[in-house]
Amino acid sequence: MASSTNVHLSPAELSYLHTSLSLNPPIRPDGRSPTQYRPLSAETGILPGTNGSARICFADGTEAIVGVKAEVEKTRRRWDDDTIFGENQNQEEGEEQDEGEEQGSSDWVELTVEIPGYRDDDSGTVFLGQMLCEALLADGGFVRRLRINRRFHWKLYLDILLISPPLSYPLPLLSLTTHLALLATRLPKLKSEGDEDPFFDDDWAAAPYLYARNPTTKRVTERPPVTLLVMAVGGNVIFDPSKEELAVADVVLAVSVGDDASSREGGMDVDGRSNNSGRNLKLLSIRTVDPPSRLTPPGVANAANSAYGHAQVVSTGANQKMPEARQTESEAVEGVWKPPRGGAKAVVMGALVQKVLVRGGVADEVLDALEGVDTS
Amino acid sequence: MPLDTSTYGLALLRVDGRRWNELRRIHGQIRTQAAADGSSYLEMGHTKVMCVVTGPSEPGPRRGGAAGGASGGAGSGGQSKDAEVVVNIVIAGFSSVDRKRRGRGDKRTLEMQFTLSNTLAATLHTHLFPHSQINISLHVLSQDGSLLAALINAATLACVDAGIPMTDYVTACTAGSTSTYAANDEGADPLLDLNHQEEQELPGLTVATLGESDKVVALVCESRVQISRLEGMLAVGVDGCKQVREILDQVIKAQGRKMILEGTVDKGTGLNDMDLD
Repeated sequence: MASSTNVHLSPAELSYLHTSLSLNPPIRPDGRSPTQYRPLSAETGILPGTNGSARICFADGTEAIVGVKAEVEKTRRRWDDDTIFGENQNQEEGEEQDEGEEQGSSDWVELTVEIPGYRDDDSGTVFLGQMLCEALLADGGFVRRLRINRRFHWKLYLDILLISPPLSYPLPLLSLTTHLALLATRLPKLKSEGDEDPFFDDDWAAAPYLYARNPTTKRVTERPPVTLLVMAVGGNVIFDPSKEELAVADVVLAVSVGDDASSREGGMDVDGRSNNSGRNLKLLSIRTVDPPSRLTPPGVANAANSAYGHAQVVSTGANQKMPEARQTESEAVEGVWKPPRGGAKAVVMGALVQKVLVRGGVADEVLDALEGVDTS
Repeated sequence: MPLDTSTYGLALLRVDGRRWNELRRIHGQIRTQAAADGSSYLEMGHTKVMCVVTGPSEPGPRRGGAAGGASGGAGSGGQSKDAEVVVNIVIAGFSSVDRKRRGRGDKRTLEMQFTLSNTLAATLHTHLFPHSQINISLHVLSQDGSLLAALINAATLACVDAGIPMTDYVTACTAGSTSTYAANDEGADPLLDLNHQEEQELPGLTVATLGESDKVVALVCESRVQISRLEGMLAVGVDGCKQVREILDQVIKAQGRKMILEGTVDKGTGLNDMDLD
């Protein structure tokens, strides 16, 4: 994070930015409204060699490509699973399988992020990858899709490439691209039955999507999660911040939301489009992201710094000796930006999450927009 | 996967139906990426490569060789008189048939980076940009043979797009020979532009030349090959490079024409007689 958001702005410029962002309504440097995303162009299925792929270009020129590859892997037997094969087969058909069988494991998904110029074990890159992976694995619903039978599962490799130099914090871009790539992912059609060694149909046209389409409307019924970057300046909540805006953020959150399809199953097929506003958003994970300001240690005035020969500052007499030194450290000077100190207010955090999840809010809007992308 | 090369002798057609001197389809695009100084996208058959050039710019803080590039110009961290060409190749995990993850320290990747940065440092006019750095990052999206050649061609396109002065186009191509054993010397044909299958099975080399001349700027051969066949392979490769140059030239001229028509750039004085249709 710190390294990818080096902005060279003076304290005066930062202060100007901070003030204009904390106005009501906030004025953003690029003239967007606080909830507006950067315009983007997207395409899917660009790489025929993958199971699913997508490419997104943001208007500021940042670009990412995601490719999904799947392999069949043998499921490791759990130590406490003492059922014998064959014994259980009959009851599997009829009734719901026991809970242990239905569950997947988080190592069925492997996600890597490549950012040019950064090592793949750079802390920022690893953190990005973790945040994206976490959203996928959060409710266990995703890995359940990868199950083939009791003995085999799909192992999904998600490779995320940032093509452009990292101009802004690439989390929203990478998350949206991953979302589209997963929507476009198809796995070969299974021909074998039960717990046999899996055998697949070699007709790619028959391959079903990982996220199933509604046969009549051809629309996706359930969608992978998206991770949104939200920040707060003063009391204002701002979505999809640019690099400059991030530099003056008080709080930055990465909020992952999923589309909870299970709770609206009934009405879904009947009234396709209008149902969208009734999307039930589900909060999957929240991460705080350290804005650059948090990583800057606040300066200590020379007068209060023991390294400058003022070791006695800690003693009781110091306060009377140098009252002005105390003041300069705490007092905010008009027009000069100081990194915020202390944690975020609980109210602000609540408001951030609320803004994301509210019906018809930004998450809804983003999911609606992504629905417009042709993923077939 | 063993390749049955014996069928070549029957119809003189290769596994993908080409003759010995035919290139695969080459499709190039420049200025694909708005945020970069120069960018390109190149397909050679099923090998797909993207290139992004940043710079020449002030060298950033060095992260302990993190950029993974070999320095083109002599010098320590931008203090040299020549610009440093830093090449960074990312081979996507999904690029090959079986997913293979290559780390940063992969020796083959490092060697390609080194070859590329040396080749480009010799061709770009790096002496015009002292104390600076030219960052070239390449992304391999799909690979089907002739990877190094595709990377060199893509880097050339992107450098032209970035407007970095250079001597001429650096174009690359691969060449191979139809049989691996010595006995069949007369029957062996040189082959142009190997695909992945042929690359696995047959001896091959990658050659890069400068513009329309026969000057070879890079030559990489990683397989055993009969010395008597080398000359033929090289001749075919150099000839292929000229064909590639024509194609890249078309790509750049098409883009230039488009930019003039759109009014992005002014029509130069010498261009009045140029045929703009």
